[in-house]
Amino acid sequence: MSFIHPLALLGLAAAAIPALLHLLQRRVPPELDFPAVRYLSAAERESARRLRLRHLLLLILRTALIVVIVLAAARPLMRVRGVGGGGAHEPTALVVILDNSPSSGAIVEGRLVLDRLRVLAHSSIARTTTADRVWLMLSDGVLRGGTREALLATIDSTRGGWQRLDVVQAVQRAARLVEAQPLPAREVHVLSDLQRTAVAAGRASVARGVRVLVSAPGRAAVNRGIATVAVSEGAAVITLSGSNAAGSDAPPVPVTIRIGGGRRGEVTARGLGAGGGGNAGASLSIALPLQSLTPGWWVGEAQLEPDELRADDRRPFAWRVAPPARVLGTPGAGSFVAAALGVLQEGKRVVTGRDVVISGGDAIPGAGARAIVLPPEDPALVGQANRALAARGVPWAWGRGGTPGPVAAPTLPSLSGVQVTRRYTLEGAGRGDQGAGEVLASVNGEPWLVRSGNVVLVGSRLDTAWTALPASPGFVPFVDALVNRIVAGEAEVDYAEGAPRVEFGTRGTDTVSARVYGPDARESDLTPATSAAATAALGGRDRVEVLEAERFAAERFSGTKRADVSGVLIVLALLLAAAELGVATRTR
Amino acid sequence: MPPVSQRLDLLDPAEVARLGGIEIVAEGVVEGFLAGVHRSPFRGFSVEFTEHRAYQPGDELRYLDWRILGRSDRLFVKQFEEETNLRSMILVDASRSMAWRGAPERLTKRAYADRLAAALALILLRQRDATGLVTFDEQVRQLVPPRVKTGQWTRIVRGLIDTPDGAGTAAHAALQRLTALLARRGMVILLSDLLFDRELALAALRYLRHRGHQVIVFHLMDPAEVELGGPPEVRFRDPESSVSVVVRPRELARAYADTVRREIAAWRKACRRHGIAYHHVQTDLPFGMALRLLT
Repeated sequence: MSFIHPLALLGLAAAAIPALLHLLQRRVPPELDFPAVRYLSAAERESARRLRLRHLLLLILRTALIVVIVLAAARPLMRVRGVGGGGAHEPTALVVILDNSPSSGAIVEGRLVLDRLRVLAHSSIARTTTADRVWLMLSDGVLRGGTREALLATIDSTRGGWQRLDVVQAVQRAARLVEAQPLPAREVHVLSDLQRTAVAAGRASVARGVRVLVSAPGRAAVNRGIATVAVSEGAAVITLSGSNAAGSDAPPVPVTIRIGGGRRGEVTARGLGAGGGGNAGASLSIALPLQSLTPGWWVGEAQLEPDELRADDRRPFAWRVAPPARVLGTPGAGSFVAAALGVLQEGKRVVTGRDVVISGGDAIPGAGARAIVLPPEDPALVGQANRALAARGVPWAWGRGGTPGPVAAPTLPSLSGVQVTRRYTLEGAGRGDQGAGEVLASVNGEPWLVRSGNVVLVGSRLDTAWTALPASPGFVPFVDALVNRIVAGEAEVDYAEGAPRVEFGTRGTDTVSARVYGPDARESDLTPATSAAATAALGGRDRVEVLEAERFAAERFSGTKRADVSGVLIVLALLLAAAELGVATRTR
Repeated sequence: MPPVSQRLDLLDPAEVARLGGIEIVAEGVVEGFLAGVHRSPFRGFSVEFTEHRAYQPGDELRYLDWRILGRSDRLFVKQFEEETNLRSMILVDASRSMAWRGAPERLTKRAYADRLAAALALILLRQRDATGLVTFDEQVRQLVPPRVKTGQWTRIVRGLIDTPDGAGTAAHAALQRLTALLARRGMVILLSDLLFDRELALAALRYLRHRGHQVIVFHLMDPAEVELGGPPEVRFRDPESSVSVVVRPRELARAYADTVRREIAAWRKACRRHGIAYHHVQTDLPFGMALRLLT
């Protein structure tokens, strides 16, 4: 047996009050003349035994009454059999995981998912007692301790967040915490929409004795979201994410891009994402009028039409428009490069100059100049070119000939998939070192396009005999990127979870980087995990129960179910009081 | 007949006692009492037949001598003469226990007994019965021999007034002394709270009865002696013996009431067994009602 308010047991000391009163009240009574004392004596002799019993009974009743009232105030908990939603429980270490990640903002069956989860969390916390130790974890991963009232207030004030909750990791942390508590029972309540993406990675290790109760997710909801927005040469590449109801055909997705706004004049462009069997993973490019954008940092936003989950319907992006580079293409760079530079010059993307030199390994500029170096046409000159690169401090060199294959370039969409038929492998003398540079594209897993400082090396000549790139539509944008962006060292743009916005980093008066915030793309997939998958991921069948709301409410603390018997004690106290009253007023 | 509101015999004894001394109260009570009953309550045992005379209209038919009427067909009524040698003795317990009252607004048992004794004596003397008085506690304190002459009632009242409250009670001693005083057959009226040894007192009363006396016992009790009350816890002390007992009146009340009831019943039963008239009187009973017990 345990007590909800154990401090109230201090009141048991009051049980001594009747006995103390009995002793302390033995004062000298007033003396009165009464002639019929002989009758009194006779009556007392006859009643002595009854009176002694009555006094003893009154003492017992009064003491018992105080004890019972004090026990009732302490609200004792008795272990009971059976399972039910009511009753109390043994002291329990409990972590309530309330998933308020962006996906909880979805409207499913006309109701906000977070509202449903909040109700469950609220009732879980409300069922706790002062003997329990309780924590609340939101999608930010912070374990919040505190009083029941404080946690309830936190739940009531919880709104949809922007951070993704890795449910597996959260359960593991929670299980570890409750396991360390010296209490008879340990439970973790997982209140989540239980996206399949949230339980896809890893498997939580849950110690024996820790119950993980998971509220069953609602049904799947159709959703489209913007996973990424990348601005490359002349276009914004938008990747879609989301989930579709089983068997449904998703319609094409209208996407709107807005750039600038207010201060610099808004530019709007529209495109249509893929329809058909699903939008998730689809990408589309929307041409941007980059020529009209003045150099500097630009911020834009891609938007979808509203759907069940609004959090992923818009995503900001940022990029830097560099001033036109002054470029010189040496004869060794080849005719395709020269032609591309001519096009860019017409488009005012480059001007003639020597800030950037594109050479064919024949004329590598000295230190300080930016260089884009293609392998020499004559294989005999490769060694000389490598020595020149080494002299400049470039840790890369052309090596043996590599196998043909497609280009893989995650950051350069115009390059991806372009076939390379002839190439040199790029071998880094100091690969693995910090100064080895950055691999921008690869073929068959081997570097093909690398940057080291302000030197960019290409594994193939930009010639149709080596690669199909010069004949592809992406060639000119690629050269544009090479001379304006890649060789200059890309402006730092990184991504983080958070409310959609862009924050800039500065160095002195210069803006040197941008951080783009938005929800994790996996939040857009509202497909719930199966019970089996969730059970397996969160600790296994002997630890985890995925339950519908009613069953969830019934199973909470059911392993340690105890009834609050204060009501019975109050009834008992009333009976004792009635008995005391009866005995005290009865004169016979 | 005086209106009921003016009849002192029916008023609260304490109220009546405030009107004056024993004489005034007794006379007032007796006047009211006799006016209420129309005739002497003791007729029948205090008068004797003397002669016949011819019936005259207005005579009560109950005094017709039916035997003469049957034998001679003439109407005669029987003439009675009040007995002048009936000796009545009123015994008043003057022990300390009698000088007690349960509430200030009531008379003490002794005061009640004095006034009742005076009223009784007045009634008896008006019937020309020789009436005397004995007051006693452990011993006889006042003795007024039974006489019927003028001034006897004043002597009896003076005897009552001159008797102080005593210390203890030994009724049987006083009663035994009475047996010597009451040589002729007569009536003995005992006014007492009977807080003494019942068997010894009964032995004396039985002896009187054996000698042919008519014995009447008025058992006087204050209402507070019948219904126990008082503070939550109290030490009650017997004013005669100084024996004390600590009780909680509320929890002992029922048992005490039972004890008192049994005691009264025991006295009543013992008296009846020996031909003694027994009357239980509480001191809040109007004197007239107490006197009526004798009719």
